[in-house]
Amino acid sequence: MSAPAVSIKGRAFGDHLLLALVILLSIVMIAPVLWVIGLSLKDNAELMADPNSVFHAPYTLKNYINTVGTSSVFIWVRNSIIVSGGLTLGTLILSSLAGYGFARLNFPGRDVLFVIVLFGLAVPEQAVLVARHQIFSVLKFHNTYQGLILPGLSAPFGVFLMTQYFKAIPKELDEAAMLDNAGRFRIFWKVLLPLTLPAQATLGIFTFLGAWNDYFWPLISATKKDMFTLTVGMASTQTNFAQSEGIGFLMAQAVFAGAPILIFYLFFQKYIVTAVSGAAVK
Amino acid sequence: MTADIEIRNVNKHFGAMAVLEDLSLSIKAREFIVFLGPSGCGKSTLLRMIAGLETVDSGEIAINNERIDHLPPGKRGVAMVFQSYALYPHMTVRDNLAFGLENIGMSREVIDARINEAARILEMPHLLERKPGQLSGGQRQRVAIGRAIVKEPKAFLFDEPLSNLDAALRTRTRLELAQLHQRLQSTMIFVTHDQVEAMTLADRIVVMNNRRIEQIGSPMEIYERPATKFVAGFVGAPAMNFVEATLDRSAENAAARFADGVSVQTEIVSNQLSDCKHTFGIRSEDVRIVAAGQGNADGVVEVLERLGERTLVYARLGDGQQIVGSDAGNSRIAVGHKVGLAFDGQKSHLFDESGRAWHAREA
Amino acid sequence: MADRLTMPQTAMPAAGVRTPSADIYAPQWRNFMFVAPFLFFFTTLLVFPLLWGMWLSFHKADTFSSGNFIGLGNYVRLFHDKVFLQSVWNTFYFVLLTVPTLALLGLFLALCLNRRTRTAAVLRTLFFSSSVLSVTIVTLIWRIVFIPNVGLLSTIYGWFGATAPAFISDPSLAMIGIAIATIWWCIGLPMMLFLSALQQIPQDIYEAAALDNASRWQTLRSITLPSIKRTFILVVIIQIVLQFQLFGQAWLMTRGGPNNLTKPIVLYIYDTAFRRWDLGLGAAASEILFILILIAAMAQYLVTRSRGDQT
Repeated sequence: MSAPAVSIKGRAFGDHLLLALVILLSIVMIAPVLWVIGLSLKDNAELMADPNSVFHAPYTLKNYINTVGTSSVFIWVRNSIIVSGGLTLGTLILSSLAGYGFARLNFPGRDVLFVIVLFGLAVPEQAVLVARHQIFSVLKFHNTYQGLILPGLSAPFGVFLMTQYFKAIPKELDEAAMLDNAGRFRIFWKVLLPLTLPAQATLGIFTFLGAWNDYFWPLISATKKDMFTLTVGMASTQTNFAQSEGIGFLMAQAVFAGAPILIFYLFFQKYIVTAVSGAAVK
Repeated sequence: MTADIEIRNVNKHFGAMAVLEDLSLSIKAREFIVFLGPSGCGKSTLLRMIAGLETVDSGEIAINNERIDHLPPGKRGVAMVFQSYALYPHMTVRDNLAFGLENIGMSREVIDARINEAARILEMPHLLERKPGQLSGGQRQRVAIGRAIVKEPKAFLFDEPLSNLDAALRTRTRLELAQLHQRLQSTMIFVTHDQVEAMTLADRIVVMNNRRIEQIGSPMEIYERPATKFVAGFVGAPAMNFVEATLDRSAENAAARFADGVSVQTEIVSNQLSDCKHTFGIRSEDVRIVAAGQGNADGVVEVLERLGERTLVYARLGDGQQIVGSDAGNSRIAVGHKVGLAFDGQKSHLFDESGRAWHAREA
Repeated sequence: MADRLTMPQTAMPAAGVRTPSADIYAPQWRNFMFVAPFLFFFTTLLVFPLLWGMWLSFHKADTFSSGNFIGLGNYVRLFHDKVFLQSVWNTFYFVLLTVPTLALLGLFLALCLNRRTRTAAVLRTLFFSSSVLSVTIVTLIWRIVFIPNVGLLSTIYGWFGATAPAFISDPSLAMIGIAIATIWWCIGLPMMLFLSALQQIPQDIYEAAALDNASRWQTLRSITLPSIKRTFILVVIIQIVLQFQLFGQAWLMTRGGPNNLTKPIVLYIYDTAFRRWDLGLGAAASEILFILILIAAMAQYLVTRSRGDQT
């Protein structure tokens, strides 16, 4: 009779242990961020004297005012918006068209081409960077928006995702539309594309986020300060850490750059998680 | 609008597998034709070939004497109702109906007029602004039919449109379809594997099996004078009784003898029959239950199915053969009783080894 | 002759407009137009650079000239380059530090947070949130944690009068510091993958186990873990592919130092190709990385394929 009671007690104890561990881990997740926010609100001189001053007033918004006052930051934000937005739009258009083509239409060599595109999923960025950089040098694309946007358009993931999505739509819809005298493009545009909106949202948000956070290609392609994206620009100010403009200022920049993305994430959480899980289990 | 449809020597393969072999069929204007057959018999493929969703390997399909088998689906002037309805989920009912008309550049007034007329016929004006997701199965069915009606097609093609409905709704919709056909006076082709739908709706039934047409005929022809053993067995519930028999062709009309000596005098003319083995066939309603010793054979009742207006009696003959006969609805028979079975010679059928059927002379 | 051949055709009804569209599923060139725009970019910016990169790796090349063919010369140079060999070792060391931790920690979090409570949902959101940050922000955060004096770590150690380990400057700790920042950054994905795998285990199995009086530990060992074995392998491989490409964290936190001890292969490529402009050598190094990643990707493909094989 006592056995169940013991096991329930054991469960409760185990639960508490696990809960404590998870809470500890979540503190590890949050503490660095809180620390950064704290530092960003402090005057530099006071911090240098005593880091524990983070825990009490006076707090100041001076670092944020300085961040916003740095003209480059806004240029970088604008660049990031143009690059991420352009790449997202381009990816959605190309992937939707190609996804419909691969999923629904037949043309000579279709299956072979699709397999080749699938192989493209396994090619890491580093394997093409050197050659791509050289090609863009010849085309004089470095330090231009097209130089930052175009490489992303060659990524096969969106095509793969959209092809899968189009394949899941019943073929009878196409057939009904054909009997309704709609041409191929009209079927794509009026009948099927509106049904892919969830996939468009997933792919769009995923692409935008990836482009916004991309570091390597913008680092080697955009070498002029005016063409930096926010990610590269932020990195460039870090080089002389702890000396020039002060820790608090750097932290304010980090918060300034990170907060919009985190808010974006909270808003579109569902789609981001779908995209990330979907991307991995290709 | 209405049209006759002519199918001539059509063949169809999927890879190495033949789906239809040298199939020909004439459909008259205003006719309600049902393609009936088990799944995989090629009936849906044939319908989709008329619609233009499948190609014709060889042969011709013509509507009103105009070949259409080379035309894309939209140019054939036919409308199709899919099993899954295939409504455009993101469009309202009105837009669903309008889509095909907009695609051929029809003016807004004509489109609206046609939609309103179709909505009136189908009693669904109140549904026009809803989306398919907000409709019940039966309502979606109506919209699918409405989408066909507004096109004023030369022929309506239905691909098992009732199979997604529950039993009560299926019966009602069946009736409405029959009324719709009377009202529109349009050529309609209806694919189903349900013999009740076929019997109730069709002017003529095309029974298909194994890549070929087994028989074309009115429902009663199909039922009473099935051309083959397959048709005899496929149409009618419970299925026709089949018994292996040898023939006595000495008289003008042949008599069938079962293994244990039971003999049934048919009204089938002897000299048209061959010497080979035959199968004797008779429907349950043509086997009367009589007192033991009074009929052609005696059997022991194993199962009773009381349908209300009649009772189906499953009786085992001496040689182990089971025969289904029928008795009055309030029959007093009980399981285990020994009963006599009286076969109606006029309603008896014989099938030779190739499956071909022979019937009594027509009255 | 030609006229004769066309004669029977025109004799057929409506053969004059003998459109190929009779078969709606027939292969047609104009359908190719839908995939052509993507294939243009795919070919010019992925396939061609991939081949061009292989070609470059056999040449002595700088920015604008493609240089001379030197066969396997670049590869020979790589394998005699102590820095490159060090970077390969560093990469493997980093993968070894991060991948098992990510997989096990991700599994632990998924097991704990796989419930329908509000707290679990909030915590899931929290643990994934770091993944959406850019590498720049992540490294900034972790440098300010590790930095002496005002760093979070040294402050906490300061409370107890101790000195914090120098995660960035100590040669034996630098890579571990980078690994910690990386795990903090990347823990969301493994957790999410495990969560979606856990949610696919049919609930009735657990009910059956409960009726059989299975303890929690037995249930975990004999039901849960076997059901997500495939996902576990998948997570490990995905993380290997991702962590092989370590660059930003090492570049921004330590510049590869001290003494090249935290320099991964990608940073070697970056240094060689884009700072010393030895494109041929950089291309050769990236081919090596490509092969390593390809092996992992192949393994992933095989795991994904063998979906039905497991009982």
